[in-house]
Amino acid sequence: MEKFKQNPIVKKIGFNRLILIGVLILMYLAFGLFCSLMGRATFFNISRLYSAFNYTYFLGFLALGVTFVIGTGGIDFSMGPVMFCSALISGYMLTKMNIPVVLAILVSALVGTLFGLFNGYLVAYWKMPSFITSMASMMLAKGIGSVFTKTQSVSWPSSMEANGWYRNLVKIPLGGGLYIPTGLVILAIAAVICATVLNNTKAGRYILCLGSNKEAVRLSGVDVKVWETLAYVICGMMAGIAAIFYVGAYTTVQPGLGDQFNNEAIASCVMGGTSMAGGVASIGGTFIGVLIISVLQEGILAMGFQKDYQYVITGIIVLVAVYADIRSRKRRN
Amino acid sequence: MGEVILTMKGIDKSFPGVHALDHVDLEIRKGEVLALMGENGAGKSTLMKVLTGIYKKDEGTITYEGKEVEFENPSAAQDAGVVIVHQELNMLSHLTVAQNIFIGREIMKGKLIDDEKMNEEAKKLFDKLNIEIDPKEIMGNLTVGKQQMCEIAKAISHDAKVIIFDEPSAALTEAEIEELFKIIRDLRDKQIGMVYISHRMDEIKAITDRVTVMRDGTYVGTLITKDSTKDDIINMMVGRVIYEDPKTESAVPKDAPVVLKVENLNAGKMVRNVSFELRKGEILGFSGLMGAGRTETMRALFGADEKDSGDVYINGKKVDIKCPQDAVKEGIGYLSEDRKRYGIVVAKSVAENTSMATMENFMNGLFINKKKEEEVSWQHVKALKTKTPTVETEVVNLSGGNQQKVVIAKWLTRDCDILIFDEPTRGIDVGAKSEIYTLMNELVAQGKSIIMVSSEMTEVLRMSDRVIVMCEGRKTGELDISEATQESIMHLATQRD
Repeated sequence: MEKFKQNPIVKKIGFNRLILIGVLILMYLAFGLFCSLMGRATFFNISRLYSAFNYTYFLGFLALGVTFVIGTGGIDFSMGPVMFCSALISGYMLTKMNIPVVLAILVSALVGTLFGLFNGYLVAYWKMPSFITSMASMMLAKGIGSVFTKTQSVSWPSSMEANGWYRNLVKIPLGGGLYIPTGLVILAIAAVICATVLNNTKAGRYILCLGSNKEAVRLSGVDVKVWETLAYVICGMMAGIAAIFYVGAYTTVQPGLGDQFNNEAIASCVMGGTSMAGGVASIGGTFIGVLIISVLQEGILAMGFQKDYQYVITGIIVLVAVYADIRSRKRRN
Repeated sequence: MGEVILTMKGIDKSFPGVHALDHVDLEIRKGEVLALMGENGAGKSTLMKVLTGIYKKDEGTITYEGKEVEFENPSAAQDAGVVIVHQELNMLSHLTVAQNIFIGREIMKGKLIDDEKMNEEAKKLFDKLNIEIDPKEIMGNLTVGKQQMCEIAKAISHDAKVIIFDEPSAALTEAEIEELFKIIRDLRDKQIGMVYISHRMDEIKAITDRVTVMRDGTYVGTLITKDSTKDDIINMMVGRVIYEDPKTESAVPKDAPVVLKVENLNAGKMVRNVSFELRKGEILGFSGLMGAGRTETMRALFGADEKDSGDVYINGKKVDIKCPQDAVKEGIGYLSEDRKRYGIVVAKSVAENTSMATMENFMNGLFINKKKEEEVSWQHVKALKTKTPTVETEVVNLSGGNQQKVVIAKWLTRDCDILIFDEPTRGIDVGAKSEIYTLMNELVAQGKSIIMVSSEMTEVLRMSDRVIVMCEGRKTGELDISEATQESIMHLATQRD
């Protein structure tokens, strides 16, 4: 075992992430087995995979964003509703006010970014606890989205309509029920960018360092407030981008929803080895975490269960992941 | 003279790397106040912690009321009647006075807490001590002095026979101290034995009967208070042999330019009108007892804490330092006394910590040039002889001395002209200590200037060119190294208003 851990390739990917990939594969196989045992349609079907991916895209962006916030030792409970709020406002402007699609996409990203700035400013400059701040902006996002659309749900254009081209960002149909999963490619690119920012830029360095020991970083003459705010801004912007991938896959958004996605995004992060105490974050881990949650939710549906079963399992996964994190830190001290 | 109620004999206690108590003796008598004195780190608190069961002793015996005892923990000591009134009060500020006094042993009426009865009992207790406090008052609304009275009352309510006061007067006003003394005299008449830890010479003279002096973890001797002078006590406290050669004269030329000038710096209660100058190539020692306000002065100067008023000049130019960023821009580096909290990011690598204050020098466009970062870190690791397997190693895995070197490397990378070393060798073993001394001497030889805050007298006398002494937030004196002695410094360090 120790020898395996010391293997250079294993070291590069990370032992914990390898385990996670193992879990992902096992889970996929297990769902296949259960589905056939229960006499349901096979799970190993390409359309199931597309469906799982639909979930991966928007959740992926949310989880990548929140990785930065958790890296600072904070938390963001507003991403899901912010994503919906962005989709509602930009969708409303697109369908009712006839702005161009490109502009609508920018509006969506902007709304998310503003929420991020709001959260970050309150946390970094006013020293408000991120837990409470983001809880408040979660409610604000729900309310504002609802007020803006006059409590109506908003449907983005379908692929048949003139403005439907944006859906190619998610997947490009090839006919015969086959697609090019462009969303996966874009998400992968986003993940690579995030990993680069986190590991190879000043912003990422300071975000992780201040998550580990903010006072020491401040006393090194670093403007910690700016960098802390930036983490929330990145998170908000990602929620705004996630909105496009949500409507690209599911078309319609309703006001007043979105909280469940916070939990799943945070769960993906924590599972992937990002420490809730801050200072340690892994984009690769988050990415695998997102895949696990996606397969999980698709598998539960395929077995004919309702979403509540997924919540139970996600809850348990989060507990196990956080416990493992605390244990490993205890051992190190 | 009262009969002996508690005797500690040959108490020995070691921590990894430190011999904290070396066969110490102590004798507490009924109806007597015993002062326990010594410099910072002399072992007073450790001894009291051994007595009350917070630490286990390695050797020695404790005899209490004629029987040998070893208290398992503070509450066992409490139950036996040996209680300690801590310097930091252990109070729950949102509860009432009575609730605080009976915390953990609430008076019950069936399954419910009987607040009324607790108020009555607390009132009786206060009456007995002639304290005027309303038991129903919320603790947080009381002054620190009153809170301390409550703490004492709580101690008495345990039917205490021995009470230890750990620097009780540190946060009190004159009037409150008078009130405290009244209570202590009262307790003395009630035949309670007391230990009074304090640095304040005049209080020792006013309230205590005997003085036991400790130094470097050893028992030095005991004096009868009324027969001895302040000088007698100071001589016992500092009369150690200094093995390392103290500096005899300043290495700084008289006309060396002033690089830093601080005028009338004020910050909270702990920094009051502090003014001083630092010359180029000088090591300026800041001496004083615990709580003298030295660290607070440095933090205010560096912008780590807000200052109320005061001017700072660097190379004759007035500068406005509002936050650490400003200070760093002006070429000041600060090595905190508490490395783990303020100096390093323990979960990050040596390289990441080294480049922390100078990120912009390691940027290649948008990206960090990790190769350069590693190279520079290696240079510092070699130059400072930091013991670390790689520069990728997380700092948490290094020893205290090597962690300190990483912090030094961080500021050397920045090429700061003014370095503030706050307790540079605290928690560092002897070998690494002398390496850090050598390094400091090299730095001033290169023309940098150093402010060194130190609680170790030997360190101050060995390293400084000039010594500033502080007491209770004020600068009480300034000595050239040629005139500085342990005695002269200790005099200034205990010079209260």
